[in-house]
Amino acid sequence: MPGWLSRWPIEQRVLAGFGLVFASVLVISVVSYRNTAVMVQNSRLDTRTYELIQLLRSIEEALVAAESGHRRYLVTGDESYLRAHQAIVEQMPDYTRYFHALVANDSEQRDSITQLEQLIKQQLDIEAQAIKQRAEQGADAVRHLALPGVAKRELETIHRVIADLESTEQRSVRARVFESTSSTHNTIALLGLGALLQLVLLGSVYYLIHHDITARRRVAAELRRRGELLQAANKELEAFSYSVSHDLRAPLRHIDGYAALLSKTAGPSLNDKAQRYLQTISDSAKQMGQLIDDLLVFSRMGRQEMLRSTVNLNQLVKTVIHDLHLDLQGKKISWTIGSLPEVPGDPAMLRQVFMNLLSNAVKFTATRPEPHIEIGATQEPSGEVTIFVRDNGVGFDMQYVNKLFGVFQRLHRNDEFEGTGIGLANVRRIIHRHGGRTWAEGAIDHGATFYMSLPLKRTA
Amino acid sequence: MTTVKPILLAEDNPRDAELALAAMEEHHIADKVVVCHDGAEVLDYLYCRGLYKSRECGNPAVVFLDLKMPKVDGIEVLRTIKNDTNLKPIPVVMLTSSREERDLAQSYALGANAYVVKPVEFQQFISAVKELGVFWGVINEPPPEGTESAA
Repeated sequence: MPGWLSRWPIEQRVLAGFGLVFASVLVISVVSYRNTAVMVQNSRLDTRTYELIQLLRSIEEALVAAESGHRRYLVTGDESYLRAHQAIVEQMPDYTRYFHALVANDSEQRDSITQLEQLIKQQLDIEAQAIKQRAEQGADAVRHLALPGVAKRELETIHRVIADLESTEQRSVRARVFESTSSTHNTIALLGLGALLQLVLLGSVYYLIHHDITARRRVAAELRRRGELLQAANKELEAFSYSVSHDLRAPLRHIDGYAALLSKTAGPSLNDKAQRYLQTISDSAKQMGQLIDDLLVFSRMGRQEMLRSTVNLNQLVKTVIHDLHLDLQGKKISWTIGSLPEVPGDPAMLRQVFMNLLSNAVKFTATRPEPHIEIGATQEPSGEVTIFVRDNGVGFDMQYVNKLFGVFQRLHRNDEFEGTGIGLANVRRIIHRHGGRTWAEGAIDHGATFYMSLPLKRTA
Repeated sequence: MTTVKPILLAEDNPRDAELALAAMEEHHIADKVVVCHDGAEVLDYLYCRGLYKSRECGNPAVVFLDLKMPKVDGIEVLRTIKNDTNLKPIPVVMLTSSREERDLAQSYALGANAYVVKPVEFQQFISAVKELGVFWGVINEPPPEGTESAA
């Protein structure tokens, strides 16, 4: 298969194949029709030829009868011998009309026919003159005419002209027979060749379709297989995280619980150092519990079925800020909230995104004398919307920007700002699942801006 | 409020059981607690058979049920309780480490009266167990005996 053809999509190749089949059917039809028309025309001409020959023979016969009849009359004076002559004189106009009808489209034959008519007229006129002379002047006056015949010479010419006409017609019949035969052969050969060509074309189209379907089936089977593998892997992961959530928490609870019981029973007798150790054991257990919980939430974010509805981000941000205010305990933050669009997505997940971004902003502006947080959106020509959350908080070094969205990645020490470092990882995962992107800008002590792009139209 | 009905705690992990008892002790309700170590034992207790053949029969004030237990798991025990007209009135509180949605959904679908996730933090655990014990074992008025079919 040539390169350009294999670059065509299957639909175009199949269409091209069918187009060629159609074109060959069309060509064969046109040629066959033309050949058949020629044959029909020839057979019509043949009929005419036979009629003409028949007519010529009848006239010839009638002329011969008239000539011999008139001679007998000249000798005997018996008028009954004139019947043949009278008949042909009467019939001559009919014959003439018939002739003209038959040779209407044949100029060559028409000339011969005109000549023949003149000869016949001459012959009949001479005969009529002799008959008249016999009737007026008696048998003796025409005796010299009766024996050799007055119109013998004209009759000979007539015989010759008729013979010529006949042979011309016979020749053209033969030519037409030859033409019809070769045209029939051509048609049969063309039909055979056409059928073969169509068979080849249809065969290759079948091959193309068959090949394509087989390839598609193989891909579908492979997809199904991978889907099953993925499902199995997902199930395993689910079982794993279930086990983590159930089994890993129990020992942590025990560590914290027994540390607390120990501190309660032996607390008064322990010195400060020992009490601090106990406290550290308990704090570590709590922290690990928090990490496990965060990791489970993160893992659930990736597996959870996404709800498909429309989310009004204006309203969402308002409720999130309202909920955060409860935890602010009087901290004064100035908010600037631009107009935000409605986007397709999962309301709970997007709520989680804004919860994380806004609580981060609140957390990292806590040390500022005048905390300011701005939320806004810009519509992109690509049909996406870019939403940003900007704060004037402690910011971050752009050198570590790639670490920001990683799981359990933190740019601050625990004693500066608390948190496990899962929030932005969750943000990125949720936005990715919505078909969007996340990125950030910032500078130390000059605040940070977190961006996310979201498609405004639902992706399939 | 002076009910003598016991609180049945189904907990396979002895440490968890001890911590739960320690929590209840703070409110002096620990002596009312009967601890079972697996689902089969819970059913033995409820049906007064096996180890509990000789106990004075009667439904407990509440059953605290762990989900993951040897032999018969919590879901199976819950199903048995809620399918038995005699045991059906007993309040059942799921007390478990699992926060999984399907566990929650399944428990409530089978008729659990409450679902509590055991907090990792001991202080929270203590207060949770204490509140549960006090509410279901002391404050809550249990259904009267012998009204099984009406309940």
